[in-house]
Amino acid sequence: MQLRDYILRRLLVLPILIIGVSIVVFTLTRVGGSPIGIYLSHEMTPSEVAEIQARFGLDQPVWVQYLQWAKGILQGDFGYSGVAAAPVSDIFPLKLAATMELAVAAGCVALFLGITLGTFAGARRNKLPDHITRIVAVSGASLPQFWFGILLLIVFWAQLGIAPIGRSDATIFASIAHPTGLYTIDAILAGSLTAFWDAVWHLILPALTLGYGATAIIARMMRSALVEELQQDYVDAARAKGLAEKIVLKRHARRNALVPTVTVIGLTFGFLLQGTITIEIIYRWPGLGRWMADSVLRGDQGTLMTYVLFTSVLFLLVNLIVDVVYANLDRRVTLGK
Amino acid sequence: MLDATQASKNVASVRDLKVHFQSKRGVVHAVDGVSFDIRDGETLGLVGETGCGKSVTGRSFLRLLPVPPGILAGGVVSFRPHGPCAVCEGAGCADCTNTGRRASGDQPIDLLSISSENMRRIRGDRIAMIFQDPGKALNPTLTIGAQMSEVFLQHRSAELLERASLPPDTSGAVRRFAAQEPRFGDGLILKFPPKRGQRAKLQVALNQMVTEALAETQVPNPVKLMDRFPHELSGGMRQRVMIAQALACNPDLLIADEPTTALDVTVEARILELIRALQQRRKTSVLYISHDLSLVRRICDRVAVMYAGRIVEIGTTEDVFANPRHPYTRGLMAAVPTAGTARGKLAAIRGTVPELVDPPSACRFAGRCPYETAACRRNDPSLLPVAGDHSVACFIDHPTGSQVAPSFERVTE
Amino acid sequence: MSEITDSNFDKTAVRDTAFRVRMRRFFGVLQRLTSNPTTVVGLVLIALMLAMAIFAPWITEANTPDAYQMPRDWGAVRKPPGTPGHWLGTTNEGGDVFYGVIWGSRTSLQLSLYVVGSTMVIGTIIGSVAGLVGGWVDEVLMRIVDVFLSIPELIFALAIAAVLGPSFTNIIIALAMVIWVKYARIMRAQVIQIKQNDYVDAARVIGDSKLNIYLKDILPNAVTPVTVQATLDMGNVVLIGATLSFIGLSEAGIAEWGVLVSEGQAGIASGRWWASTFPGLMIFLWALAFNLVGDGLRDALDPRIEGR
Repeated sequence: MQLRDYILRRLLVLPILIIGVSIVVFTLTRVGGSPIGIYLSHEMTPSEVAEIQARFGLDQPVWVQYLQWAKGILQGDFGYSGVAAAPVSDIFPLKLAATMELAVAAGCVALFLGITLGTFAGARRNKLPDHITRIVAVSGASLPQFWFGILLLIVFWAQLGIAPIGRSDATIFASIAHPTGLYTIDAILAGSLTAFWDAVWHLILPALTLGYGATAIIARMMRSALVEELQQDYVDAARAKGLAEKIVLKRHARRNALVPTVTVIGLTFGFLLQGTITIEIIYRWPGLGRWMADSVLRGDQGTLMTYVLFTSVLFLLVNLIVDVVYANLDRRVTLGK
Repeated sequence: MLDATQASKNVASVRDLKVHFQSKRGVVHAVDGVSFDIRDGETLGLVGETGCGKSVTGRSFLRLLPVPPGILAGGVVSFRPHGPCAVCEGAGCADCTNTGRRASGDQPIDLLSISSENMRRIRGDRIAMIFQDPGKALNPTLTIGAQMSEVFLQHRSAELLERASLPPDTSGAVRRFAAQEPRFGDGLILKFPPKRGQRAKLQVALNQMVTEALAETQVPNPVKLMDRFPHELSGGMRQRVMIAQALACNPDLLIADEPTTALDVTVEARILELIRALQQRRKTSVLYISHDLSLVRRICDRVAVMYAGRIVEIGTTEDVFANPRHPYTRGLMAAVPTAGTARGKLAAIRGTVPELVDPPSACRFAGRCPYETAACRRNDPSLLPVAGDHSVACFIDHPTGSQVAPSFERVTE
Repeated sequence: MSEITDSNFDKTAVRDTAFRVRMRRFFGVLQRLTSNPTTVVGLVLIALMLAMAIFAPWITEANTPDAYQMPRDWGAVRKPPGTPGHWLGTTNEGGDVFYGVIWGSRTSLQLSLYVVGSTMVIGTIIGSVAGLVGGWVDEVLMRIVDVFLSIPELIFALAIAAVLGPSFTNIIIALAMVIWVKYARIMRAQVIQIKQNDYVDAARVIGDSKLNIYLKDILPNAVTPVTVQATLDMGNVVLIGATLSFIGLSEAGIAEWGVLVSEGQAGIASGRWWASTFPGLMIFLWALAFNLVGDGLRDALDPRIEGR
C-alpha cells in the first residue's frame, strides 16, 4: 500500500543523505586549514612536516582520506577534543545527557503550553485570548533566545537572586550516583529528594527560555488546526448527540487538530537542538552546546564536525519518524473524505 | 391514558421561525417566517434549492447554529416529547412495540428558549440528526464503537450501570465515567483494581448496547465494525452507522439533512429503505430535507416546498405532486427531465433567487413568475390553505387538474 | 475575422496588457497589506530602523578611523543609562551603547541585504535551472539541496563560519551558503508548476524563445513566494547572524548587536544590565518587524483569504 511504499522510499534515501552530509562535513574539515595544524610548528623542517603528514594520512588522495575518516567514524573514533583534553567519545555521552535533559524539559514545556494556548486561542477565535496567543507566537519566532535568556537572568538571578546558574549544586550533585547521566532521573533512582529538587530548580529557567520559542511554533499550529477542525461537520454531529462543549472540544476537535500539529514536531526538535547552544552558554550548562561553542573559540574544528554529523543524523531520523507517523494518521483523515 | 386524537397530534410545530445571519453584506434573512407542523409518526419532506434555508430550518430544532454570525430572530419551535407508553409504563410491550419511550413529560416545550443544558439532554435523545456526508460527519480519529458509545454514555447511563450489574450507588468516578462528566483525577482512579473492574464491566455493557444498535441497521458483523475507523468503511456503511447512532436512544424526531446526497444511487435506495423501515417500527417522525424531488416523492407522507427562506407550498405528497399550486413548485417539477421530455429542451426557471439581505416586501418569486401581477410586486403572500391539507403562499388561484406542463419560457441549452 | 499570422500578431500588445494587469494586482496587494494593523506596525518599525541605518553618521558622530569599531571612552566606563552623552549607558570599555545600537543597525542592514540578495539570486538561478532542464541535472541538484537541508541551519552556519575564521564577512558567507537552498527549492517548485500552465504553452506556440518565456511568463509569477521568503529571511538572517556573533564568530569590539550582547554579559552579575539589553532589544525588533511584514505579505498575496 501507499504507506509502506512511502516508508520504504524514505528509508532508502536516508543513507544517501547521511553520506552526503558526511561529505559536506569532511569537506569542511579540510577547508579550514590543515587539520593537524596543532601538531606543527614553524621550527620543523620540511621532511619532518612531511613525516607528520604521512602519519596522519594527509599525503593520500582526498577521496582516500575521506574513506579513512568515514571508517574511523563508523568504528567509533571521533577524534580528540582539545577543550576537554580527552577523546571525544569519552566526553560525548555525559554532555549529551545534560543537553538531552534540558531539551526534553524544554520540549515538555513547549508541548504543554503550546497545545493549551493553541486550543485556548482556537476555541475563542478573534477574541482576546486569540490575540494574546498571536502576539506570543510572533514574538516567539522573532525573539533572540540568548537575549531572552540574559533578560531572565538579569531579573531572576542578578536582581532578585532567586534563580541559580549551572546545572547543579556541586556538593549535592556529588552526593548521588549517576547511572543515566540525567540528573533528574538519577535523583529519583537514588531516592534523594534534595537532589531531585536541586536538579529541577536548576532546570526551570533554562528550560523556560529554550521552550518559549518552541511554544510559539506549536501554539500557532495548534490554533490554526483547531479553527479548521471546528468548522468540520463531525463537530456539529458531536454536538447533535448532546455532548458537552468541553468534550466536543477535547475529544473531537482537539484530537483531530493534533494530527497536523504533529508535522510541527520535527521543526520544534530542530529549534530546540539549535537553541541549546546559546542557552547552555548563558546558563553555564555543561552540555554539548557549550562544549561546541568552546571548541569553536579554541579552533578545535574536528570535534565541531563530529557534532555537526551527529546532529544532522539525529535531525534526519526525527524528521523521518515524524513524517511516517503523520502519514499514518493522515490516512484516517484523508481516506475518510 | 391513550388519547383518541393522539394520532393527529404533532410532535413538533414551527411558528414563524426567523433565523438571520450577520455577514459583510448585511443581515441575511436565511429563514424568514417559516411555519409548519410535523405530525406524529410522519415523514415530512422539506424541499428546495441550495440556499433556500432548509438546512438552517432543520438545524434550528437542535439549535445547531453558529451563534456569532447566526441570530435567532424570532419564532417558536415547539416540541412535544412523547410520554411513556400507558400500557407498560415505558418498560416495552407489544403495544408500543418495545420502543420503551421514557418520560420527559407530555407538555410541549419551546426548543428555542430552553436552557442549553436541557437542550443537550434532548439532543441525541429525543431529537437526533443525520448529516449529509457521513465521511465528514464521523470523527476520523475515533473508532466507530467509541463514537457510538458517546450517545449511550450521555443519555443512558442509568441503564448502562444496570446492565453492567453495578449498583446505582457506585462510586463517583465510575458513575461520572458512565455519564461522561469526568473530573480531574478520574482517569487515574479508574486505572486501579476495584474501579478498573467496574469500568471493564461498563465497557462490556456499552459494547453490547452499541452492537445492538448497529444490528438494527443490518450491518454485517457489528462486533468487528466497532473497532474500525470511519475511513475503513464504505459510504453506505458509514451512513448506516450514522443512522444507528441517531436512532440509538429512540428519538421522537429525526432530522435527516440530505442523507443520501453523498452516496451512490444504488446505496441510496438501500439507505432510504432502511430509514423507512426503522421509522415505521419505532414510530419516529422524520423531517427529511432534500433538494431531490423524486426522492421526496418516494418516501415522504407530506411535503413542504421552501423558497428564499419561506415555505411556499405544503401538503400531502400526492396532492402536491399531482396538483402543484405554487408557480415555483410547478417550475421545479417541470425542470426535472422525464422520459417524455423532448430532446434539447430543458426547462429552467428564468431569473435567480433574490438577495436575502433586506428582502423586499413583495412576493419573493416576483420577477421570475410567469403569472405575476402588480399585486405580487407590492405585497407578500402568506401561507394559506386552499384545499384540505394543502396550503400555498400565492395570490393567484391556480386551477387544479392541469396535466399540461406550465408555459414557462423554454431555455434551449 | 482576418487570420492571425506571425507577422500581424501583436506580441507587444499582449505583453502590455499583462503588464497593466500586474500593476493592478500589485496595488491591490499593497492595499491589503496596509489594511492589516500588525503589518503596518511592522512596516513602521522597518522604516524606523532603515532610517537609523541610513542616517547613522548624522545621529551619532562616526568613530575614527573605523566607524564600525565601538568607540572607547576610558573616562566613562560602565556608566548607566541616563548619563549625559551616553543615553543608553556605556559598556565595560566605555563603549557608548547608543552608538552601538545605531551603528548596529547599519551592520544588520548590510548583513541582511548581502545575504538575502545573494541567496535570492543564486537560489533562483539554481532552482530555475533544475526546474527548466529537469532530468538528471534536476536530480543531482535536488539531492544536494536535500543534503544541505538535512543539517540544521544554525549548526551548519556555525561550522562554516568556524572553519573560515571569525570575521563579519565570513558570517555573511556562511549564512549565504546555508540559506540559498530555500530559494532554490521554492523556485524549482514554482517553475515546475507554472511550466504546466496553458499560457506557457501559448507562448511556445507563438514561437517565443525559451529564455523569453522564462523571463516574461514564469519569473513574474514565481516572484510571490520568493518575496515572502526573502522578507522573512531579512529578519531571520540577522537573528542567526547575531547568534553566531554572540557565540564568538565575529570580530570583537565591532558595532554589531550580537557582539554587544555577548560583551555585555560580563556586567550582569554586578547589575549592569544595559549593555546587553538594548542591543538585544534591537535584534528582537528587527526580526519582529520583518516577521510581521512577511506574514502580512503572505496573507495579502494569498488569493484565497478573504478576511478572518
